[in-house]
Amino acid sequence: MKKTLKYILGLAALVFVAYNSVYFKKLDAVRASAHKQFDASAYARKYYDTRLKPALKNAVEINQLLALARVDKEAAFNRHSHALGIGNIRYFLVQGTGEITGINENDVAVISKNDSTQSALKIATEFVFGNAIRDASGLINLNEFSSTADFNNVSAEVNKIVRNEVLPAFKSTAKKGDRVHFVGAIELNRQHLKLDDLEIIPVALNLIKDK
Amino acid sequence: MKQFFFRAPSFLLLLMLTAAFGFGCKSKRSDGPKKMAVIVSTLNNPWFVFLAENAAAKAKELGYEAKIFDSQNNTALETDHFENALASGYSAVLFNPTDADGSVVNVLKAKEAGVPVFCMDREVNSDAATSQILSDSYSGCVAMGKYFVQQLNKKGNYVELLGLVGDNNTWQRSKGFHSLVDYYPELKMVAQQSADFDRNKGMEVLESILQAHPNIDAVFCGNDAMAMGAYQALVSAGKPNVKVFGFDGAEDAITGIGEGKIAATAMQFPKVMAETAAVYADEYLKGKREFPKKMPVAVELVTKENIKDYIAYGKKD
Repeated sequence: MKKTLKYILGLAALVFVAYNSVYFKKLDAVRASAHKQFDASAYARKYYDTRLKPALKNAVEINQLLALARVDKEAAFNRHSHALGIGNIRYFLVQGTGEITGINENDVAVISKNDSTQSALKIATEFVFGNAIRDASGLINLNEFSSTADFNNVSAEVNKIVRNEVLPAFKSTAKKGDRVHFVGAIELNRQHLKLDDLEIIPVALNLIKDK
Repeated sequence: MKQFFFRAPSFLLLLMLTAAFGFGCKSKRSDGPKKMAVIVSTLNNPWFVFLAENAAAKAKELGYEAKIFDSQNNTALETDHFENALASGYSAVLFNPTDADGSVVNVLKAKEAGVPVFCMDREVNSDAATSQILSDSYSGCVAMGKYFVQQLNKKGNYVELLGLVGDNNTWQRSKGFHSLVDYYPELKMVAQQSADFDRNKGMEVLESILQAHPNIDAVFCGNDAMAMGAYQALVSAGKPNVKVFGFDGAEDAITGIGEGKIAATAMQFPKVMAETAAVYADEYLKGKREFPKKMPVAVELVTKENIKDYIAYGKKD
């Protein structure tokens, strides 16, 4: 009788341990919870509103940057560019004011002047993609993210904000001869620097009413 | 007591063997110059040969012995290489993984043994690696996607050839490309299939796709080897004017852009990645412990408009 009780207790303990050792979950639920870990859209919205927008006032004036790059490339890159890793591609957060000289399929042509120089630029209105806006401010660190895919999704979401909230109003009202204040990102190659045909990926665009 | 006497010699023998094995391992590690293992996913692709040789050359330049191990795109063989490298007293591993998930176990094994691992070009889905030096494939393919859309005037049928499905680069490239191209509804992807980053498979897979979809305007490939295979398939099918887009900056593709066979590639910098990994490993072995978990290396779009600035695997000085 004592032996039987021992066996029953032993079996019950075994069943208890076995039951608590194995868990079953639906694969869909596991996948869904993995995806829930990072909300790129919410991160991008917070980044755009609370970090990028306040940083726009620090953007370098485009003509000033280009003048410096022509005489001292290294100084221009060292003072004003950002990039997340190694390589020749670096991003600059720039601003300026210019007159619209053409409305094209993929961009708006602008002549921007300051006291000493003027530049012919293009403001992208079609291809607002890639990491230029995310990286030009130098405010986000890749190593804060556990996954490279999450990090890249932040770019896609920030670009979406610009495409949905900045471009429609500008494209519907901008016309040749208007003046525009722009803030945006440009990409330059440190080794093979080309300063003509520059394209600005916009972050903020404001038409200036009184000429 | 009887039992003790019976077991004591066995115990002593075991103790002696353990001690001998332990000292043996120690002597392997302390004798001669330190060694770095270069474990590479495959040497069946010239791009990875270039990566591995540059890693080994930089390690030697820094005063280490270096040996290249070819995993032949096989995680089991890669595991054998790690076991051999750890047992043979290598101090660091410069690693080009075969599979983002499947290779994690090898990195963990090295970490447990106190051997740092520095990933080159390909990522493992774990923070066990001391540092991962990776091409910014996503950004490279966003630039590629923009050029693709411009070249096709925003409409047409195209095929995508993916690389190894277990490699993160495959998906980073595909996602970067689609993050832009998918905004154009008149660009229709008629087929998407893996060709394992392999030239012959690239040719075979596209030949098969062309049977079902003969009217295509472009092929986007996750690397240059597949792009060259795809071009061969298109020439055989009498369609040499279909635009082919690759990724890597390999010698064939750079020549192909010059000859008008390939529309564009994205230049990676394997020498930069290999040398950075070797330098990081050297710094680690000299006592440094703070490294970026991930270090992206910029990728540059190469087209007929800027081909004069580039040579295979890099830039002209």
